[in-house]
Amino acid sequence: MSVVNYGTREITCKIVYYGPGRSGKTTNLQHVYSQLPEERKGKMVSLATETDRTLFFDFLPLDLGTISGFATRFQLYTVPGQVYYAATRKLVLQGVDGVVFVADSQSRQLEENIESLQDLHSNLAEEGFDPRTLPLVMQYNKRDLPAGEISSVEELDETLNFRGVPHFSASAISGGGVFETLRSIASLVLSRLSAPATKES
Amino acid sequence: MATEPKKKETEEEGGEFAEFLADVSQEIAQRVESLGAGGKPRVEEKKKTPVAADAGLIGEWPNIADRIIEEMR
Repeated sequence: MSVVNYGTREITCKIVYYGPGRSGKTTNLQHVYSQLPEERKGKMVSLATETDRTLFFDFLPLDLGTISGFATRFQLYTVPGQVYYAATRKLVLQGVDGVVFVADSQSRQLEENIESLQDLHSNLAEEGFDPRTLPLVMQYNKRDLPAGEISSVEELDETLNFRGVPHFSASAISGGGVFETLRSIASLVLSRLSAPATKES
Repeated sequence: MATEPKKKETEEEGGEFAEFLADVSQEIAQRVESLGAGGKPRVEEKKKTPVAADAGLIGEWPNIADRIIEEMR
């Protein structure tokens, strides 16, 4: 995907929320959606099962209007976290510009976080991305749970954040940390805006 | 580098989004400027339809039909 199109004066950024099942990816998008002013509310597409698990993916288009002469759009996606939706996760990653890894802070979910992160790296590599350089931020979600049930931020960072990328504590269910995370990944993605000649499409 | 989850500071609808938009706008403006891609949107020049040198001589539709028939002979 081309991030910036000088011909049509458009900037389009695709951001994918990745992470294990039930870590709070959809909740992140729901909070962003809830904060949009009416005139900017597009349609959030969410395909969930009867038990509210994301079946395919969520898609939230964010139309930011014209900025510096460029019509700017952010497209936010989530992937289904469950292991058996591997093909869907690969599909959603196509053309990604930045990834938010939503980790579940619960101590008992640490292994799932690790597996999901490995899955992300493997899928990125298969899609032709360099997992070491693609814009990435970590979000340690569910910090509102009792201290005895969650890993410390330091432990999560040591285990998951070996690239040393920006990381954020969050409680997506109440909205805490959601926009801080989005702002950070947006900033990383935008810092890579390049002229068409040097950007793959 | 970790930041504690902030509680919703702005209760008014769109408050968090407005802050986000302001930050992103600034970021894009700086980036666009550094890339030298600012300025006015490029306007495609309309292609002019080639006009025959003697186009002015054709005034009425029947004349055009006659001329086409003539050319085809």
